[in-house]
Parts: sequence; structure tokens; C-alpha cells
Amino acid sequence: MNTAISVQALHKSFGRAHALDGLDLTVRTGEVHGFLGPNGAGKSTTIRILLGLMRATSGRVTLLGGDPWRQATELHRRLAYVPGDVNLWPALTGGEVIDLLGRLRGGLDASRREELLERFELDPRKKAKTYSKGNRQKVALVAAFASDAELLILDEPTSGLDPLMESVFQQCVVEEKQRGRTVLLSSHILSEVESLCDRVSIIRAGRTVESGTLAELRHLTMTRITAELAGPVPELPWAGGLVTEGRRVTFQVADHDLDKAVRRLSETGIVALTSQPPSLEDLFMRHYESEKSAR
Amino acid sequence: MTTGTWRLTTLVIRRERLIAPFWMALLAVLAAGQAGRYAQSFPTARSIADFAREMAANRALTAFAGEVHSPTVAGMAVWKNADAIYTVLALIAILTIVRHTRGEEESGRAELVGAGVIGRFAPLTAALVFTAGAMVATGLICALAMISTGFDVTGSLSFGAAITAAGLVFTGVGALAAQLTEGARAAIGLAALVLGVSYLVRFTADGSGLTWLKWLSPQGWSHLVRPYGDDNWAALLPALALAALTAALAYLLAGRRDLGHGLIPQRPGPAGSARLRSPLSLAWRLHRGLLAGWSVGYAVAGLVLGALARSIPEVSRQGASVQEFLRRYTASPEASMTDAYLWLIALSLGYVAALYPLLALLRLRKEELEGRAELLLATPVSRLRWAGGHLFLALAGSALILAVAGLTLGLAAGDPLGVLGGTLVQIPAVWVLAGVGVLAFGLLPRAAAGISWAAFLFVNLFGEVLGPIMGIDYWIAKYVVPFPNLPMVLSGEEFGAGPLLVMTVITIACSGAGLTALKRRALA
Ligand SMILES: Nc1ncnc2c1ncn2[C@@H]1O[C@H](COP(=O)(O)OP(=O)(O)OP(=O)(O)O)[C@@H](O)[C@H]1O
Ligand SMILES: [Mg+2]
Repeated sequence: MNTAISVQALHKSFGRAHALDGLDLTVRTGEVHGFLGPNGAGKSTTIRILLGLMRATSGRVTLLGGDPWRQATELHRRLAYVPGDVNLWPALTGGEVIDLLGRLRGGLDASRREELLERFELDPRKKAKTYSKGNRQKVALVAAFASDAELLILDEPTSGLDPLMESVFQQCVVEEKQRGRTVLLSSHILSEVESLCDRVSIIRAGRTVESGTLAELRHLTMTRITAELAGPVPELPWAGGLVTEGRRVTFQVADHDLDKAVRRLSETGIVALTSQPPSLEDLFMRHYESEKSAR
Repeated sequence: MTTGTWRLTTLVIRRERLIAPFWMALLAVLAAGQAGRYAQSFPTARSIADFAREMAANRALTAFAGEVHSPTVAGMAVWKNADAIYTVLALIAILTIVRHTRGEEESGRAELVGAGVIGRFAPLTAALVFTAGAMVATGLICALAMISTGFDVTGSLSFGAAITAAGLVFTGVGALAAQLTEGARAAIGLAALVLGVSYLVRFTADGSGLTWLKWLSPQGWSHLVRPYGDDNWAALLPALALAALTAALAYLLAGRRDLGHGLIPQRPGPAGSARLRSPLSLAWRLHRGLLAGWSVGYAVAGLVLGALARSIPEVSRQGASVQEFLRRYTASPEASMTDAYLWLIALSLGYVAALYPLLALLRLRKEELEGRAELLLATPVSRLRWAGGHLFLALAGSALILAVAGLTLGLAAGDPLGVLGGTLVQIPAVWVLAGVGVLAFGLLPRAAAGISWAAFLFVNLFGEVLGPIMGIDYWIAKYVVPFPNLPMVLSGEEFGAGPLLVMTVITIACSGAGLTALKRRALA
């Protein structure tokens, strides 16, 4: 079996509000899959449906070959989950929570647990109510990474981690991948997505707008050009976001129009030219912003 | 230091705008409704005076209700329901003040508010202003209800003041407890403990005839006001003093501790645990504090109430009211007044214990709302196992506390096994409430807390208090509330398993329906 998660035409409505509106998501076994989208796009809702905590209104959802609603318990033996907002039992210590979650998942690797505690610099003897947000997240992360789950579902797992811990987290994910585990990673941290994810899905308003490898997605986007010309700026019908200041011009252009645009510029005469490849930020801004106009 | 108090107060009022009017109205109905009822039942001064004399002689009843101070319709209405009003209002005061102080801190909302232009003492002040204001309002509403029913103005006002005083004392006690402990539940537990002790002291005072003991109990002070009797306003002074003192201490502590913390710093705990291996063992960790608190409380209550059993005198069985009393609480003419008293105590222990499973089951909802259930249910733990663990502990816990109280009550009363049996028969009736709790949690999770508290109040007030006011015959309660169906094994009835089996079946059916609904619904 080479798809860990397969979601087709998923709908979820809360009363009259449609949180998910025909979402598709495919996560292949063994990959780290980035799950992105603006606030309120429906990432956590999708994850909660994948965990069988909520029921889909309609659509097909397959998780590790099973139905997450009906076979929740069996499927959970094979996955570990880290919520975005980790709430722990105030009276238990971090170590107790890690052991509890590990045991419930069918045991955890004691030496790996120690190693992870050390790498994440987490004191397991503190009561959960005294942990900071980042430390609570570390508790859930250690419990997840020390388990022998084949699928990790991580919902914004690093939103409270400092940069040092963020890099420990990234190393851990890479190791998990090397061990052949599948990771679904919802995140707003683009550098994290860029360095970890094999493929990403971008969703907006409950719908998948883009899915593929980062290289594929980049291809769909625009190059930013800044040029200083010898004469007045010519007509540039392919340009987006055009800004002219005297003989200086800045604009974006789709890859397939790049050649035409640069030719038109050179007809006037180019004094200086910089071109920036589309950054991940540009890629996301495009999707995230168009949501505003969509609403 | 108190900047923003008014804005916070309006926020509190907004959040309480539905609940507070409800209980204020409920208490006013308890006060004036009872009086209206008695006015119909006892149309002449003679008939009410006869009734008063019979009741005053019945130590088993005066222990519960207090001394008779005025053989008039108003006086007897106060006698009948005032203790319930004082106690319920005190409980409401505790819940309200803790909800808006420690509860807010626990949820993290206080932090959000505290970062705004809000003085350090503003949240406490806002909570105190609202709660104390509500206590004054409740007293006034009750007084007005009595006056408009046509009773003496001075007596009505002193009755209102006695009600307010009970509420104010426990507003202060609750505010102080909220500063001392680290969690809202612990604060409620601590304040409720004070309320319980205060109740027992008052009960003992009236049950034993050592009435001076009442000066040691906050509810005793309200009783000592003697509305429609000699209106002893001086008894309000210790109440006001204690309310002021506890509030002042709360301010002192609030100024010294950090937001979100208690006074006792956290010590490091174990680095891991081999014992936490199942949802049940986790549930046990979460419930054991509550269970220990209730067990100790019930053990002490059993001892005190049992010791009183030896001093219950026999009374003449001629009067109509005594006959009705015996009809309700004894099943054979041979049963003595002490037997009736012991059965009343066993019943009361059951009525109060009905809160235990409801509180225990509300943890489920809290776990769900605060996201911890999600963490647990993303492991191979099924919803059934998760909720089942809590349900098991709710059932076993309520059985345990009743057993503990039965033992100490029996030992102190000198009939260990018999009395133990009398408290153990309460178990299935208490369990019915557990069934209601599970049903609410599964089917109507958002309303679960409201339904649980309402069920508890309803069961406690319907048969003895609300039903009679609404003109519903006491024996109707049998069809609505489980407790009157129990075999009165302490006062002459043969043990019969029938009603207990029916209650167990109801519990199983409700729990089953609740758990099935839980399996099907989305988790918050
Ligand atoms: N229980 C609920 N009842 C009603 N609406 C809900 C519920 N849960 C989620 N929603 C709505 O569904 C939408 C999707 O929310 P979701 O939490 O899945 O977003 P998200 O992509 O995880 O956002 P974020 O990046 O902020 O975490 C939101 O508009 C939210 O308001
Ligand atoms: Mg989210």
C-alpha cells in the first residue's frame, strides 16, 4: 500500500458554516507532506476528521487503509498525533504524560525517550501546569517521536518552539522519514516546510488549491524582475504588480511570458537587471491573498 | 490598582445574565411560595400554633430545619425553608465567586484581561462586587416577596438580611479559597468544606439542644436572626465581620502572589510513571482527590450525625403533622423517633451524595473542552473505554462514600451493621443521577453542566420543598425522584430489592444511551 492518507471531496459543515468544501489530500507512504493554508482554512478540521474525532459530512476518507471514523481505535495503534494547542493534565508531570501516552499506544522505546528528552532539553519532573507553551508541545512531541507509529500527524507542532528547538524538531522529522515513517505536517513556518516536505498541499476556504512537490508549485508562479532602462518604460501587457519610477521598473511575470517581457525591455535598452526566482513566500502570498478577494 | 473594575463588572454581569436571575427567582419562590402554601393549609392562628408546637417538639426535624422561633405562618415558612435557602445561596456564592476569580485564571482569560488597562485588584473586585451585589439582591427579592405576600415588614427585612448574610460570608470564604489554592475545583472543594462543617455545627446545635453552638456556625448566625420572632439583628454582626475579614485576606493574598499560582510553590514530581497505563488509571489519578475529600467529609458527618441519634427524644404521636412525618419516614408503628431520624440522615446522605457522580462525570466534559480528551482519543483508546473509566469511578466512588458514612454513622449510633445497610440502599438512587450525567454528556454536551446541577437541585428540592409549594402531593415525588422509593430499612420496612433493581436498570439504560450518543457525536 503506498498511500497513507487519501481524502476525496471532503465536506464538513457546522450548521450553516462550511468548514470543508470538497477538500482533496493524498499523502504517500514514506513522505513528509506539508499541509498549508491560511488561518481558518480547515487544516485542523481535516486532521480531526482523520483522527475520527469528527465525522465528515460527505466525502471519502481513507487513513492507513481504513475508515478513520469506524476503525478509529485500531488505526490509532499505528499513528501518533501532536495537536497545535497541547493541553496536559495539570497534576501530572511531563514524564508521566509521556509514559501514559506511550503505553496507551502500545509501549515506547525507553532509550529513545531519554535521548529525546535530552535533545529537547525537557525536564520531565515538572508538573504540566508549570510548563510553558513550548514545553507542553515538547512533551507531546517526545511522546510522538518515541512511539513506533508508522504515521505522524502533526498540527502546527512548532508554533511555540524557539529556533534551537525548531532545528531539533527538523532533525527528528528527517530521522523519522529515514526510518520510513510518513508525516503529515500542518505548518505556517515556511522554512520548515521548505526544508522538510517532499510534497505540499495548500488549502484555502476548505478546498485544495494546489498540491505537488515544491519544485512543481514554484513552476506555477511568477518571477520578479527589477530593471533600469536606457529609455522610457515600454508597454508590458504580461506584467503583474507593475511599479514604475522614472526609468526604473519592477514587476512580476509568469514563466511562460518571461522571454517576451525581457525582449521588450531590451528593445528599450537595459542598464541593470535583477530577477528573483519565486520565493516560497511569494507562492503562499499569492494563494493566501487571493482568499481575501475571494471573500 | 482597581482601574477597569467597572468594565470587568459589566463583563461578569453579561456572563451571568441568564443564570443569576434564575436562582434568585428560585430562592424567592422557596421563601414566599412556602408561606403561601402554609397560609392555605393553616387558615387559623390556632392551627398554625398547633403545627408549630408539634414541629418544635420533633428533634429529628428541628435538627434539619432549626428551632421554631415564631408560631405564625411566616415564621413557620421560614422555619421550613430558611436553612435550605441559606445553604443553597452559600453554595451559589462559592461557585460564582470562584468562577470569576480562580476559574478565569485557570482558563487563561485572566491573563488576557490582566494585560489590558486593568488594575491588579480589578478582577477580584469585580467578582466581589457582582457576587456580593447578587447576595444583597437575593435577600431583597426574598424580603419583598414575603412583604408582598402580606407579612410583617420588619420580619421580612430581617429574613432578607439573614439570607444575604449567609451569602456574603461564603462570598468571602470563596474569594479567600480561590487565592489559597491553585485550581478552581480545589477552591470550590475547600470552600464547600467550610460550608459543610458550618452546616454540621448548626445541625448538631439544633439536634442536640446545645443551641449556643450555633454561634460557631455562619449558617447558625442566620438562624439566630430569628425572623418574625424577635428579629435579632445583632446576629448579623459576626457574619458581616467574617465576610469582611475573608475578603480583606483575599486582597492581601492577591497582592502577594503571581497570576495563575497559589501560595504553595510547585515541587518537582516523578520523571515518569509505570502505573499510568490505562484510561482507568488516569481517571483514578484525576478523581482520587475528589474522592478522598468526600470520603473524609462523609466519615466526619457520619460520626457527628450518628452521635446525635442517641439524644433524639420520643414525642407524642397524636398531632396530624407528626402523623404525616411518621408516614413519610417510617414504615411501621413500632419504629421509634430515633429510627425515623436515622432514616432521615441516611436519606440526606444519599441526597447530597447525588452530587458526587455528577461532579465526577462533569470532568469528562472538562477533559473534552480543554483538549485533553483529544490527546487521549488519538491513541488506541476508544471513547467507550475513556468515558467508561470515569463512569466506573463515579459509580464506585459514590458507593464508597456512602459506605464510609454508613460505617461511621452506625458506629456512632450504636448499630453498625443495620445503619450501614440503610445507607447502602441509597446507592442505586444516587446512581440514577450518574445515569442522568452520562446521558447529558453524550446527548447534550453543551448543556451537560447545567443539566447536572439542575438535576441535583431538582432531586433535592422537589419532594420536600418545591413540590409542596407547587401544591404537588409529597407522594407524587415517588414517580419523579428516586429516593422516596427506597425501602425504609432503618424505620421498619422489610428490605425489598424491587425498587433498587428498577433504579439500577434506569442507570444502565441512561448510561447506555449516553455512551451510544457519545460514540456517534463529534468531539468538541
Ligand atoms: N466546532 C466548530 N464549530 C463551528 N465552526 C468550527 C468548528 N471547528 C472549526 N470551525 C470553523 O471551521 C473553519 C476551519 O477551522 P480550522 O480550525 O480547521 O482551521 P485551521 O486551518 O486549522 O486554522 P489555523 O491555521 O488558524 O489553525 C473555521 O472557519 C472555524 O471557525
Ligand atoms: Mg489549526
